[in-house]
Amino acid sequence: MERLTNAEIKAMGRAVGLDIADSELTRVNNGLTAILELMEEIDLPEVNLVEPLPLILPGEEDQRG
Amino acid sequence: MDKADIPFLTATELAAEIQSRNVSPVEAVDAYLERIERVNSHLNAYITVTGEAARQAARQAEEEIGRGEHKGALHGVPVAVKDQIHSAGVVTTDASKVRADFIPAEDATVLANLKRSGAILLGKLNMSEFALGDPVSSAFGPACNPWDLTRSPGTSSTGSGSATAGFLCATSLGEDTGGSIRGPAANCGLAGLRPTWGRVSRYGVDGACWSIDTIGPISRSVEDCAVTIGAIAGYDPKDPYTRQVPVPDYRAALTGDIAGLRVGVVSELLDPDQVGVGAQTRDAVLAAADVLRGLGAEIKELSLPLARHTGAIIRTITHVERVSIHPEWLRERPGDFHPNTRVAFTTANLIPAQVYYKAQKLRAVVRQQVLDALSEVDVLVQPTSSGPAAVMNTEPGEGTVEQAKQALVEGSFRGLYSLSGAPALSIPCGFTSDGPGGLPLALQIAGRPFDESTVLRVGHAYQQNTAWHERKPTI
Repeated sequence: MERLTNAEIKAMGRAVGLDIADSELTRVNNGLTAILELMEEIDLPEVNLVEPLPLILPGEEDQRG
Repeated sequence: MDKADIPFLTATELAAEIQSRNVSPVEAVDAYLERIERVNSHLNAYITVTGEAARQAARQAEEEIGRGEHKGALHGVPVAVKDQIHSAGVVTTDASKVRADFIPAEDATVLANLKRSGAILLGKLNMSEFALGDPVSSAFGPACNPWDLTRSPGTSSTGSGSATAGFLCATSLGEDTGGSIRGPAANCGLAGLRPTWGRVSRYGVDGACWSIDTIGPISRSVEDCAVTIGAIAGYDPKDPYTRQVPVPDYRAALTGDIAGLRVGVVSELLDPDQVGVGAQTRDAVLAAADVLRGLGAEIKELSLPLARHTGAIIRTITHVERVSIHPEWLRERPGDFHPNTRVAFTTANLIPAQVYYKAQKLRAVVRQQVLDALSEVDVLVQPTSSGPAAVMNTEPGEGTVEQAKQALVEGSFRGLYSLSGAPALSIPCGFTSDGPGGLPLALQIAGRPFDESTVLRVGHAYQQNTAWHERKPTI
């Protein structure tokens, strides 16, 4: 995975309405890169076969208030 | 009893002294307020002390007890709660300038339940700003670890760990998303229980991550944990995600008998190459497993293949959900956040939806791996953290990607059970050294959803046969 530049981070911030200070761009970049690379490393083919976890699991609805 | 000795009793011991009228609630509250006056300037554990209201509640409790009334297991016992938990008429700040003037109209259900059991609120405790998990981000300055004031008391319930270990309250409440009860318990040598998701109401608690947040006790013993969780657990119509599962008598479960219990040791979280666990921590946890074996438990090693990845998975989910709770504040008032919080919230805003979606799918796999393991054994054990409390860093600089990754992997020790919704207890299982300067090391015990009783039973049996929890910091 090619790492993002600080200019790209700045642009991504603008896309979600955030003006990221230049002094904080590297920290944001490092934090985001760490998450993206570690998540990319989790190569589990069967993950595409599962649904995202529903909070109330099937069969447990009767226990809800 | 000398009044100055009262704060050093466990909550359970103090409740018994009050019930037998050897100590009055007024004496107990006064003793704690005097100690807070003397010690809090060193620990910075409290954001708000509600001294006058506590004295008034103590007088009322004294009258009730004098009339032979018994409200519950914590009648007359002084407690404190994280400043994320709403308190009627008392400012609730989330340790942020953004919320510095917020005064809730009603108590959170957990606080109302504590009061119903007779507990007396001493005040509101310091925390990481918006429960983000940073030891120095509080707008009121960092809370300190009573074992070493330069070290983190654990995040994000920093004040709950600091105040309880520093004898500034008898027991406390924290909120645990990725480990914010178990981390402070580990760093401060305390017992901290993350209950099953859905066991304790979150109504009136400012959210950190709606699908993972839990409220639970940070106490000086497992017995205190059992009493405190017993006071707050149960279905709440105001929180639709609490379950109508009966709340057992947790204290009655503390039989000391764990003979025949099956205990699984999570191998991945004892592997230095996978998660960077320190040698002292690893040895202490394996020694704790030997203690359990000596009590008749059957110990076996188990593999949870995704365990080391859970730090990254949970951070992805909690980051996205956290900033979704209050998106406008970061855009409108960025200068009111601590720089560390602002950087983290900004980062969270940039996580792609597909990565969040992958994390949610992985969460389902992690939960199944944990439940499968818990079908083979009754509880799982592992370290709570890779090592003892770290020195607080107030000037983090720009850091590196590798440092950021290391922090994410550290979250795996606690993220495993946050993701799976299972209950998990942290208790002390050793110290880095015997003399002054020794820091606590911690064992984590996790169990099946809604089976906090077994988790507490194992922790209590361990504490009945070891003395780590009896060590006191010198502050």
